[in-house]
Amino acid sequence: MALLELKNVSKIYGDLKALNDVSIRVEKGEWVAIMGPSGSGKSTMMNIIGCMDKPSLGEVLLDGVDISKEPQKKLTDIRRDKIGLIFQQFHMVTYLTAVENVMVSQYYHSMPDEEEALEALERVGLRERAKHLPSQLSGGEQQRVCVARALINHPELILADEPTGNLDETNENIVLDLFRQLHNEGTTLIVVTHDPEVAEAAQRTIVLEHGRVAREIINENFGK
Amino acid sequence: MTRRKMFLRMITASLLRRRSRMLIALLSIAVGATILSGLVTIYYDVPRQMGAQFRSYGANMILLPSGETPLTWEKVQTVLDMVPDSELVGATPYRYVRLDMPSRQQSFTGAGTDFTQVLKTSPYFSVEGAYPENTREILVGKEIAETIGLKTGSSIELSYKQTADSGNTGSKGAEEGALLSGSAEGFNKAILKVSISLDEDEKISSIEVDSSSQTPGIGSNVGTDQAFLDQFIGKSLPLRLSGTASEEQGKGEDTGLIDAVSGATISSQAVVDAVNRTVSAENAVPVENREHFTVSGILSTGGEEESYIYMTLTDLGRLTGDELLDVAELSISAPSDELETLCSSITDLNIGVTPRLVKRVTRSEASVLGKLQALVFLVTVVVLLLTMISVSTTMMAVVSERRREIGLRKALGASDRSIRSEFLGEGMFLGGLGGLMGAVLGFVFAQVVSINVFGSSIAFQPLLLPVTIIVSMAVAAASCQLPIRRAVAIDPAIVLKGE
Repeated sequence: MALLELKNVSKIYGDLKALNDVSIRVEKGEWVAIMGPSGSGKSTMMNIIGCMDKPSLGEVLLDGVDISKEPQKKLTDIRRDKIGLIFQQFHMVTYLTAVENVMVSQYYHSMPDEEEALEALERVGLRERAKHLPSQLSGGEQQRVCVARALINHPELILADEPTGNLDETNENIVLDLFRQLHNEGTTLIVVTHDPEVAEAAQRTIVLEHGRVAREIINENFGK
Repeated sequence: MTRRKMFLRMITASLLRRRSRMLIALLSIAVGATILSGLVTIYYDVPRQMGAQFRSYGANMILLPSGETPLTWEKVQTVLDMVPDSELVGATPYRYVRLDMPSRQQSFTGAGTDFTQVLKTSPYFSVEGAYPENTREILVGKEIAETIGLKTGSSIELSYKQTADSGNTGSKGAEEGALLSGSAEGFNKAILKVSISLDEDEKISSIEVDSSSQTPGIGSNVGTDQAFLDQFIGKSLPLRLSGTASEEQGKGEDTGLIDAVSGATISSQAVVDAVNRTVSAENAVPVENREHFTVSGILSTGGEEESYIYMTLTDLGRLTGDELLDVAELSISAPSDELETLCSSITDLNIGVTPRLVKRVTRSEASVLGKLQALVFLVTVVVLLLTMISVSTTMMAVVSERRREIGLRKALGASDRSIRSEFLGEGMFLGGLGGLMGAVLGFVFAQVVSINVFGSSIAFQPLLLPVTIIVSMAVAAASCQLPIRRAVAIDPAIVLKGE
């Protein structure tokens, strides 16, 4: 069953068609990479999938719900309940510690639970850094905190926007390993990237060009 | 951990770990709250403070006798019992009579008073020399002093002629059973006083004689010899001392004869004369009392007081032979509405005292106070507005500084309500803390102002603490409204769009 389905989605800004009649399907548990050069429509697609924007035309079905028709307030609820977000610039609340940043996500979702948050940090190998402020953490560590924050509420879909764009190779590998674990646990992953290495880690790569799906590549070596 | 705890943890972390910006907002609120609580303290204290200042303009209430019954110190005292001690500045009795100066064939108004009270109710009295301290010392108005060339230390003779219209004798129209009083010269020209009451048939029903001025053991017996006094009861006026010619001869029948106390014929005669005079004052032979006085000081006020001669009530009483009053001036440190209330309760007492407010004093006092309070109110409002603008600007800066964080929170699923309550929470916390600081600093501020401007300290108003904190929180909450609207409008997608 498809977790996410875009049917003939277009996003039009004046004369510009950021997305032009795009249709894609992502199955439950699948790991998909979205690639493309700047201006190809990656960010627009990411915003739409992340319930932060609505398409001009077409349908977006997330877990069977057409999110293109939902009001903004409902979209916030859907995003909170179903999607874990990971960003290129990490984006942590600067005045909260690592564990508190993870707990913020719990706070908006349901109930803050420090023990659970610490376990999530343990999973990304940062339990001993839990009481540090973002300014005291390296970029890689910050991104791992963000991964912990994204998975804390057990979302159906993890949506990552250039998750390794600001990381060195060591940290990139750590993050990709985390993704692999999540995939093995059955989490659906959509990773937007322009890094072929990151794309190759996924099962399937969708390449966007000028707002259209240019091609799809199945990773033959996945899991090997 | 509960959501509430997390909420507080986020807010305190935001405030504690992002100090500089928050300190500015906190400072604005604290300064605003300081001015607020300080001015409110002064606002409520001003009437008291200014009241004391205004008391230097003199009495603001006068007590007059109402109707025929004369004013006495006992009645004034009854009124004074109604005024709280803390509000009573002073109460000065006055008795005005016409005094003659035999050496110059001139008359002046003589005033008997209590000089210790004069200092309190008429602080504007300016005396060259000194206030009378000893008996037979007088304070002479400047105008008189200049007219007849009196100086401090001069000695003058003053005389008082007791006449029908001098107000110290009873009148025939008095109610039945009412006390009538009269006086006459006894032995050695000393004044002897009697008071009697008449029943419905105009017969004497009781008599009291003050013979203390008479020779002790001889003349003074007329006041204590019960057999002598009993002769008066049941008799009608006029009376005659047996063995003497009637004073009233040719004017009517004698209705009663009185036997004199042996050895005190002159005093006995005086009693009879005084009794007769209680109801026939118009026929009385004027009694004239003379005494020598020393000028202790010259009074200048710029007003009519300069044409009076002041002496103690005791000295004047010796001349007039009574202890009545014409007026009492009261200086009460209270707002005009309270004075009005006091006036009506005095009238309600119905003890023959008519209170009057000195309108030119109470009115100007009320109007100055009103203006001052309006000014304080205006300043408070302006300061609160400025605080609001300052806090609002700071919070606005905070919101734009935290755009990304707000976007992130929204991306993580924060509803508009969450964002609103987080900012409001921070604002209210700052408001509360700033209010607490302001309440304390405001009291210090008010104290400093009070000591420097009014020269007296003020008491801490416990109610002002919660009020200041609540007002500060409300101001902070109001200031946050616009910034919060900005925060809520932030698009969560900003977190996705690169640097």
